[in-house]
Amino acid sequence: MGKKLLSEKFYSAMTTLESRYPSKVALLLPALHAAQDEFGWLSPEILEEVGDFIGIHPAQVREVASFYTMYNLKPVGKYHLKVCTNVACCLRGSEELVQHCEKKFGIQVGETTRDKKFTLVEEECLGACGTAPAMMLNDDYHENLTVSKLDQLLDHLE
Amino acid sequence: MPKCIIDGREAEFTPGQNLIEVAKNAGIDIPLFCYHPGLSVVAQCRMCAVEVEKMPKLQTACSTMATEGMVVKTKSPKTAENQKSVMEFLLANHPLDCPICDKSGECDLQDNSYKYGSAYSRYTEERRTYLDLDMGPVIKKNMNRCIHCTRCIRFGSEVAGIHEMVALKRGNNTEITTIDGKPLETDYAGNYADICPTGSLTIKDFRFKKRVWFLTKVPTVCEGCSKGCNMEVHQDNNQIYRCIPRENMEINRHWLCDEGRFNFHYVEREDRLLDPARSKSGGLEVCDWGTSIDLAKATLDGKQIAFLIGSDLTQEEGAAILQFRSQHYPGAPVYHFGTPGVVSSADDAPEDRILKRKSKTSNLHGLEKLGIPGFTKLPKEITALLVIRGGRATLPLEIDGVEKVGLGVFMKDQAMMFSVILPGLSFAEKDGTILNYEGREQKLKRALQPLGQSKPVSEILMMWVNRKKAHGAA
Amino acid sequence: METPETLFIQYFNEESRPLAFYQKNMAGYTAVKKALTLSPDDIISEMKKSNMRGRGGAGFPTGMKWGFIPKQSPKAKYLVCNADESEPGTFKDRDIMRYTPHLLIEGMVIGGFAIGAHHGYIYIRGEYTREAKLLDQAIQEAYDAGYLGKNIQGSGFDFDLTVHRGAGAYICGEETGLLNSLEGKRGEPRVKPPFPAQAGAFGGPTIVNNVETLAAVPYIINRGGEWFSGLGKLEKSGGTRLFCVSGHVKKPGVYELGAGSVTLRQLIYDHCHGILGDKKLKAVIPGGSSAPVLTADEIDVIADIEPLMKIGTMLGSAAILVVSEDYCVVKLLQRITRFYAHESCGQCTPCREGCKWMEDIIERIEHGHGREEDLAMLLDISNNISGRTLCALGDAAAGPVMSFVKKFRADFEAHIRGGKCPNV
Repeated sequence: MGKKLLSEKFYSAMTTLESRYPSKVALLLPALHAAQDEFGWLSPEILEEVGDFIGIHPAQVREVASFYTMYNLKPVGKYHLKVCTNVACCLRGSEELVQHCEKKFGIQVGETTRDKKFTLVEEECLGACGTAPAMMLNDDYHENLTVSKLDQLLDHLE
Repeated sequence: MPKCIIDGREAEFTPGQNLIEVAKNAGIDIPLFCYHPGLSVVAQCRMCAVEVEKMPKLQTACSTMATEGMVVKTKSPKTAENQKSVMEFLLANHPLDCPICDKSGECDLQDNSYKYGSAYSRYTEERRTYLDLDMGPVIKKNMNRCIHCTRCIRFGSEVAGIHEMVALKRGNNTEITTIDGKPLETDYAGNYADICPTGSLTIKDFRFKKRVWFLTKVPTVCEGCSKGCNMEVHQDNNQIYRCIPRENMEINRHWLCDEGRFNFHYVEREDRLLDPARSKSGGLEVCDWGTSIDLAKATLDGKQIAFLIGSDLTQEEGAAILQFRSQHYPGAPVYHFGTPGVVSSADDAPEDRILKRKSKTSNLHGLEKLGIPGFTKLPKEITALLVIRGGRATLPLEIDGVEKVGLGVFMKDQAMMFSVILPGLSFAEKDGTILNYEGREQKLKRALQPLGQSKPVSEILMMWVNRKKAHGAA
Repeated sequence: METPETLFIQYFNEESRPLAFYQKNMAGYTAVKKALTLSPDDIISEMKKSNMRGRGGAGFPTGMKWGFIPKQSPKAKYLVCNADESEPGTFKDRDIMRYTPHLLIEGMVIGGFAIGAHHGYIYIRGEYTREAKLLDQAIQEAYDAGYLGKNIQGSGFDFDLTVHRGAGAYICGEETGLLNSLEGKRGEPRVKPPFPAQAGAFGGPTIVNNVETLAAVPYIINRGGEWFSGLGKLEKSGGTRLFCVSGHVKKPGVYELGAGSVTLRQLIYDHCHGILGDKKLKAVIPGGSSAPVLTADEIDVIADIEPLMKIGTMLGSAAILVVSEDYCVVKLLQRITRFYAHESCGQCTPCREGCKWMEDIIERIEHGHGREEDLAMLLDISNNISGRTLCALGDAAAGPVMSFVKKFRADFEAHIRGGKCPNV
């Protein structure tokens, strides 16, 4: 086996977590989250390393990872905008936000800007319907959005 | 035995049996796709849903255990409506390319469409499409035909013991595949195609070779190892097109390994020697049978001879050889051979956790039962050998320096080691009895007429005896 | 108007979160001390008396559910909190977890004791990253104070609690999909039986309860099942309910009211101050986006399980989506159907194929390419999905299609005949 890509921190966190589950495979979701936190996305090499750690076939890791939308199996921009366009947000104008982003970044939903700064995706319900429209910017929620509030937020990003 | 009522008929069952099996025993077929008796139950295709009295919703027969007095309807209007609907859903994205699909004629999707589907399609949306995928030497995948039954995934993880087939993504976009189109790793890959209920996974070796309805199916036993897996040889016009497993719950259940499945190819290899012949100045010279037998005899004449016989021979062949030995070469030792490193049944053991065994011949245990010891090394006094085998036993290396006559299936390069070669039959060309590793007696069934001039062992020995008599009289 | 008693909503602010506040102002962890002196049977019987019905959407009586757990089990038992909160329109559990995490933790310790589980998991949807962190902090506080871990409060009862994050899949809100996801698998629902109470997480008997359900447990233990039951105004539905109102209302948000004490009209017009811009009401989806839709003249109905069921819809997770007259219902249904197609796990035939098919047809209609036969076909497809799938997602997708097409047929026909969305 080649050199490990995941950090010591990853391995020690997983070792701690292992005692919380009666089966090692149960570590798969937490491990994928932790691995993605380190690299921003999950490359085939990382998936394989996670599989090695857990003791399962790399295909099984991919099978699970590809089921969930939060695992990035392709690189994403530094800022990952996930705009909710589910019912409540739609009713509150989220489509306008998406269109605004598309125009502002010159990309379509699902794409990343050439400078790798922004990735724009439409997200299903974020559970913030009372404060719609909402979006996630990386791990953080931003709610009660308007086009101007969104601009303010985006224009301050480095 | 407890009973339930299926379609008005009393059906006995053993507790824990599902409705599909119970109905089948009562002569009632419930259509299905994802259920397979050798795999876990997932109730995904929904085709087998039936009406069960006192249950408001249809119940999937695969996941419903029969209970005493249960009343089941498999042909009610409600059931039929569901079957028709499932067929419509499954065909919505299916390419309907049966005319050029190798599964055609033995396809569950096709058969169930015919019985339960509709002649018309209402689906006018764009179909989802995928590129074909080559999955190593054994299997080719056509995802467009896939109905997501997940049998292949379950076969991999539950039977082959490797989670190499997976479902990627989800929902309507789910793709059943290996990751990045990697070749399959298991050496049981052929089963993926057998259990595929459509033409999504097909065997490359068989693709576009033959429509299945032209094939004659002969039930026989695999000669690939001492397990004795039951299989069918499928032939047409005296040519084998494929071998597939035949269910035997006590031996191979539903499966067959690739080694056994594709073993048949040697039978029809171009370089198989199909004529009697002798080696001459670095080549082979074809002779007629009479000359060859005379030459064979001459080769052994006046020598201290031994018999080396392959453990790919049947009991009948073994007995005939023993009788021949005692009548015509009394005292000549007889040894069996077949797999390097496996001298006796004590050396035979499982090779994996699935089917394969270490002895790579089918009848090691049978020949042992006939009292024939395994070959280790030639006694010093031996100066000539009569080597008899089918086409599977591996020739021992330690037989240089003595004259040899070969009887059986040999490729041309192997034949060169013999002074004379008398072409015999492969497993597919003969009937006979073999004993597997646990001593279970099973029958080989002849699927092909003998190829070329090759003849059964008994017939060759008979010719040998008859010519000897003629000589003796002279 | 009398001020009804509420259990949660007055604490929905940052100050309520710490253990110190919980203990000082909310009788924090007194219920668990009391519970540990009771027998598990007593607790379950109190839960039965409370008429608490699961707040996740199915409305199953919680006490009865706990009672299904076998007393003896060779395999470890588990209590799992369903914090996947993913039914569109639902956002109450997030508030409980971020503002009153200790209510949930204490409820889980009591629940664990009642069913004989020594490990609990909070399966929280992956997007709630912050809430997961807050829960982890609160759990640490509880460990430090001896309310979690070995020998809780000297009782001899051990209970560990772990937060497990999902990763973006609606179907993990389905309890067996959730269990698969907890076990590190694809979140595909399982064939039932066996039910989780027989064989759930890691093969052991398991109870899966919603956040709001478990967070009410300390109140029920402290103040009694009868008291809790009395907070509800209907016979079989106890406690208060957290209603999530969103969409075209002036004051969207979480409202806590006695179960069965309020009609949809009161919620929308009294509590939420009516429709944005004082427009006319077009439609109400009363129980998360999977609930069959209601028209403006169907809202004088008590917003609870049985009354809504009686008129062909459901309370679900009490998520009320309000739609005003100027929003296209075809577009709305397209959005809903797209969601269910996107979230279908793909295991079973009718859901995998049918949801996408419906989505495609509705999209055509919305874009002006509908055909006369499409509506009959939509009803037929939804009918072919409904009741025939492996889990309830199929029904969730079929219900909206059936109800929208039936109740707003004229809107659909206008799209088909006009060759475009009339609103565009």
